[in-house]
Amino acid sequence: MKLNIKKIFRKQNNQIQHSADNIWLDTFLLELGGLSRFTVQFFRELFRPPYEHKEFLRQANKIGLSTLPLIGITAFIMGLVLTLQSKPVMAEFGAESWLPGMVSVSIVREIGPVITALICAGKIGSGIGAELGSMRVTEQIDAMEVSGTNPMNYLVVTRVLATTFMIPILVFYADIISFYGSYVAINLHDFMSLRLFMNLAFDPLHYFDLIPATVKTFFFGFAIGLIGCYKGYYSEMGTEGVGKAANSAVVISSLVIFIIDLIAVQLADLSSIFFN
Amino acid sequence: MITENNILNHSDQNSVIEIKHLKKTFNGNTVLKDISMNVRKSENVVILGKSGIGKSVLIKCIVGLIQPDSGSLKVFDREVSDMNSNELNILRTKVGFIFQGNALYDSMTVRENLEFPLRRNKILRDSHEIESLIVEALENVKLLDAIDKMPSELSGGMKKRIGVARTLILKPEIILYDEPTTGLDPLTSREISNLILEIQTKSKASSIVISHDLNCAKITSNRMLILHSGVFKAKGTFDELMNSEDEWVRSYFKTE
Ligand SMILES: Nc1ncnc2c1ncn2[C@@H]1O[C@H](COP(=O)(O)OP(=O)(O)OP(=O)(O)O)[C@@H](O)[C@H]1O
Ligand SMILES: [Mg+2]
Repeated sequence: MKLNIKKIFRKQNNQIQHSADNIWLDTFLLELGGLSRFTVQFFRELFRPPYEHKEFLRQANKIGLSTLPLIGITAFIMGLVLTLQSKPVMAEFGAESWLPGMVSVSIVREIGPVITALICAGKIGSGIGAELGSMRVTEQIDAMEVSGTNPMNYLVVTRVLATTFMIPILVFYADIISFYGSYVAINLHDFMSLRLFMNLAFDPLHYFDLIPATVKTFFFGFAIGLIGCYKGYYSEMGTEGVGKAANSAVVISSLVIFIIDLIAVQLADLSSIFFN
Repeated sequence: MITENNILNHSDQNSVIEIKHLKKTFNGNTVLKDISMNVRKSENVVILGKSGIGKSVLIKCIVGLIQPDSGSLKVFDREVSDMNSNELNILRTKVGFIFQGNALYDSMTVRENLEFPLRRNKILRDSHEIESLIVEALENVKLLDAIDKMPSELSGGMKKRIGVARTLILKPEIILYDEPTTGLDPLTSREISNLILEIQTKSKASSIVISHDLNCAKITSNRMLILHSGVFKAKGTFDELMNSEDEWVRSYFKTE
């Protein structure tokens, strides 16, 4: 009797476990399918008039203005901290003159793009998710649809294009500010002219660093815009739905940023072997 | 007086909307079971029904916002479910939809709200023409002084009227009103009801008006339908239904 109960209990447990696995897999596949379909739809709408230049510029402007101070401060601190942290190690090897070069390579290749993209995922991705989500919940998207105005074209295409083109610009800006942070850090204790710093910093940078680092920022921007729009556009009803849309836009796009980064590193590695 | 006119009117005219055996289920919850109805040219049909019974779902099916499970739904003699997205967009410029919750674009001013459907549909390119249409539409709802306000600065009744103006600016041939007077004071309700009637007589548009408001139904209806548990349980003019032999039908008209 006792054994039986145990058996049944275990069996039930297994079933629960099993169905829980299925739910995770199901939601993952559903999301992936939905996002792929959304991407296809995006590209279909991309080339279909009317082209909303004005709305695109408005969105781009909004992205720039809302993130500029935050990215500036973060980038400055990153450059400063990175330099201060690396300084003792470099000094130990007597390689202090390599400090600017080392910092600039890590900023341009990795830290600038990723930190900027993550900040933008948090700030812009969630903003887009919440905005479109609340437009869905208050039936504004439906209202656009029933007046034959093609909201996918008006709302989604403009926003995704805006993030795709603004993130690279913001990354460039973050890199510059980080350099300045690094320069300030070096001058806290020693003296180095800006000119010498720049020479040392730019010396180790090659096209191999710049091209993949720039190309991946476009993908970061695209992912942030697309995922934010997707989550908002298909937001569940109710206030809770809007919160969820904003939240999952940030979580998913942050994750996707790391995945893109990983792929970019692999590709850059491969191509550098190929070209050398 | 209005109703007498309308009995004469709705004899042998073509239907602009024709629905047959429409069915819609949401995850096992059957909202519309077997809906058949038609709307003739320049006729106002009022649909009554309790909250949550599926009135909004029904008119959302007409503009293709919700896909029905089965049955036929023809607008201007064309099956809506057979249309591709272009055809659907063209249809949608001819069918105006006034949302229960207004659905004003809250990031745009009133002017931009009205301009948006005109501009996006490329109906007019000339900015003077667009401006004069906007002014005319706002004058119709007596809200010209709100032209530069944001939706958040408007009262509930004003939003409703702007919603009506935004829909009417495309000069639709069919207008679907989802509870146009709910939540408004009796005076404003009457104004909106009269506006609906005026639009019908002026532009010969056909409409479906969903309403709980008996005064609005009385003013605007040519014919009325009562939706209950997925089917139309009663049909007739306002007076016919109000004086119905059926106690259940009469219960919809009790005011206390
Ligand atoms: N998109 C949807 N998904 C699932 N269920 C829905 C959806 N839209 C409506 N429903 C369900 O359909 C039913 C009818 O909803 P509907 O909005 O048509 O009611 P209504 O008659 O307009 O009520 P009210 O007078 O309160 O507006 C409700 O039970 C609702 O839960
Ligand atoms: Mg409703």
